[in-house]
Amino acid sequence: MSKLSVEAKVGVFVVIGVVLLCYMSMKVGKLNFSNNKGYAIEVLFDSATGLARDVTVEKAGVEIGRVQDISLRDGKALVVLRIKQAIKVKKDAKAVIRTRGILGDKYVEIIAGSASAPDIMGGGRLTRTMPVTDMDTLLNVLGEVANDIKLLTTVMSNVLGGEEGEAAVRAIVSNLRGIVTTLNQSIERNSSDIDRMIDNLAGFSDTLRSIGDDNQGDIKEIITSVRRVSGSMESLVADLEEITEKINTGQGSIGRLINDDSTIDNLNETLAALKEIAQSISQGEGTLGRLIAEDQTIDSLNTTLASLDEITTKINSGEGTLGRLVNEDETVESLNTTLTQLNNYLEKQDTFRTYLDYRGEYLFNSEALKSYLSLRIQPREDKYYLLQIIDDPEGKESVTDTYRDINGTVVQEHEVKVEYDVLKFSAQVAKRYYNLAIRGGLLESTGGFGFDYYFLDDKLLMSLEAFDFSLDRNPHLKAKIDYTPFSHLYLTTGYDNFVNEESRSFFIGGGINFSDEDVKTLFTSIPLPY
Amino acid sequence: MLRFFEYVGKPFVLLIEAFGKVILLLVSTISWMVRPPYRIHEIFKQMEFVGVNSLPVVIITGAFTGMVLAIQTYYGFKMFGGESLVGATVALSMTRELGPAITALMVTGRVGSAMAAEIGTMRVTEQIDALYTMSVNPVQYLIMPRVIASIMMLPVLTIVSDFIGIVGGYFVGVRLLNINSGIFVARIIEFVALSDIVNGLIKSAVFGLILSLVGCYKGFGTFGGAAGVGRATTQSVVISSVSILISDYFLTAVMF
Repeated sequence: MSKLSVEAKVGVFVVIGVVLLCYMSMKVGKLNFSNNKGYAIEVLFDSATGLARDVTVEKAGVEIGRVQDISLRDGKALVVLRIKQAIKVKKDAKAVIRTRGILGDKYVEIIAGSASAPDIMGGGRLTRTMPVTDMDTLLNVLGEVANDIKLLTTVMSNVLGGEEGEAAVRAIVSNLRGIVTTLNQSIERNSSDIDRMIDNLAGFSDTLRSIGDDNQGDIKEIITSVRRVSGSMESLVADLEEITEKINTGQGSIGRLINDDSTIDNLNETLAALKEIAQSISQGEGTLGRLIAEDQTIDSLNTTLASLDEITTKINSGEGTLGRLVNEDETVESLNTTLTQLNNYLEKQDTFRTYLDYRGEYLFNSEALKSYLSLRIQPREDKYYLLQIIDDPEGKESVTDTYRDINGTVVQEHEVKVEYDVLKFSAQVAKRYYNLAIRGGLLESTGGFGFDYYFLDDKLLMSLEAFDFSLDRNPHLKAKIDYTPFSHLYLTTGYDNFVNEESRSFFIGGGINFSDEDVKTLFTSIPLPY
Repeated sequence: MLRFFEYVGKPFVLLIEAFGKVILLLVSTISWMVRPPYRIHEIFKQMEFVGVNSLPVVIITGAFTGMVLAIQTYYGFKMFGGESLVGATVALSMTRELGPAITALMVTGRVGSAMAAEIGTMRVTEQIDALYTMSVNPVQYLIMPRVIASIMMLPVLTIVSDFIGIVGGYFVGVRLLNINSGIFVARIIEFVALSDIVNGLIKSAVFGLILSLVGCYKGFGTFGGAAGVGRATTQSVVISSVSILISDYFLTAVMF
């Protein structure tokens, strides 16, 4: 074996370990799904015996989600299921708690609904469930059934048991045989009569059918008319009853008219006044009089009605915008698709997240604070874009090589300039596979890439970054661990630039990280490719 | 009368004193970790010694642990027709318990003893005093690299042991005992969660801290010539093994 340096041996060993860890965690790391991916639907079960969180939800034996939460609501079990985004569940689908294997593990089975029913939305509720058939109730029912059967057989054996019973059964059987024989004989004797009878019956039913066929319409009409008339009669009678009753008790105008003398007087007066008004109208006095007397008014009223008629005709025949809206299916369909697309877009907005982050790292070597301000735009759970502004106490190095021709010999001048009051920028794309995220792009104003490994429900994050590659020196490598004990606040520690002897430094620090809805709305109003 | 109480009390005082000294050693080790010079090469040398050179031992013990586990659980599960659960049992036992514990015990025997012997010899031959005179802090030069290397290498060894153990269990279960291979793997994936693996690794890092700290402490406090070195070595192995198993219980109770 060739001579390997100590560092190389350790490096190979660590790489083997990390590869094994990644392999194993990818194999078993199916739990990431439970938190935010997919959409939640609710189911109300009478009992959720044996069901637990993170139990699978299956459809036709294929896992489509997990049980997210179980709680009590009005004496029933409210189970929240988280279903994968790509899977659609119909509104009339049925949820059942099933048992798997001899150990009795429970899972939720979704039985597909009808194809025409609408899809259920996130937060919706499945109303159709089936009661749980647990082993206990099943055994109880089976026990009852067995008891009943036993009772029956006891009675039977009491009745039929013994010589007496046997003789009785024998007598019954021989009687039966006699009856059947008699029946046989009588049928043989009257076979011609019976045939004739059947022929007659057949003829009769034929006639009936032809009558029915010929007058089918009439019959139907008669029946419906009769039904309608009897319905109207009923309501008429009811109305009449009500009216007479009201009249009798003196309610309503007629009732009072009949029962009250003063009404008659009023009526007389009113009639006299009316007569007077009619006279003035016929003489063309007042507005109404003019309206009736002048032909022009009537004409304009007529034209108004005519245009109204025209408009409604147009609408009916599908002319004009309103007409097309009302009459054409196409319009409605395109409206529907638009709404669906809008819905999809809104759903996507839901998974869209933006995070703001400030972190400070105290570098022991330069005894100064390095600050990062980041914006993380995360359109989907498994990918994000990271923009950073960095204030680095180490400053920003810029290298210029100038070649100068002095007396025929080319002289190279190597100049390294460090500017201290310059901000650095990072812009990276990142993709996450289970617990491992890979990112790359611009790191601290130079090209680079990084790996993140998440532990303990993303509370612990180990990162390795490599950037600032150049030919004449080592790249800038940085290893760090972030720990988030509470939401929003985290602590960090690590070893910065550890392959460069002169500038390597441990650091400790912390940061604050929060999801920002305001920035999110800003970004979702700009169309982004998903 | 007072003599009697002194006789009873003395071991306890010594125990608490020793515990306090170990904690003080830990504190000074941590404080020397962040102070330059960092002695990266020393750390790598210890990593090679603790990690790379322990690999054969860990692979062999891990493989046979997984294999024997498969045989034993097979006979248990066969009694009620649950042979398909052998894989999950082996995988869960390896990742949660046996991988970290057996690796830590093997490394204690191989490395913890060597640490105690090496530092002990340096103590009795006054090499440590020589370090002081050269103004090299022995905690930083000798102990800090060993502790860091053990904390970092134990999880790596454990993940190898976990994997090899499961492969060994697979070999015995599928090849020799004719359990269906698809079911074997499917049950492992179904029952083992990521937290099982990660918590096992956290435990193993704590074991690494314990075994290196105890080995170094015993070596550092050695007195009495060659016999003293032998005594320190034995004591360090015994104390490390016992504390690993005791802390294993409490860590498991807290984490799982």
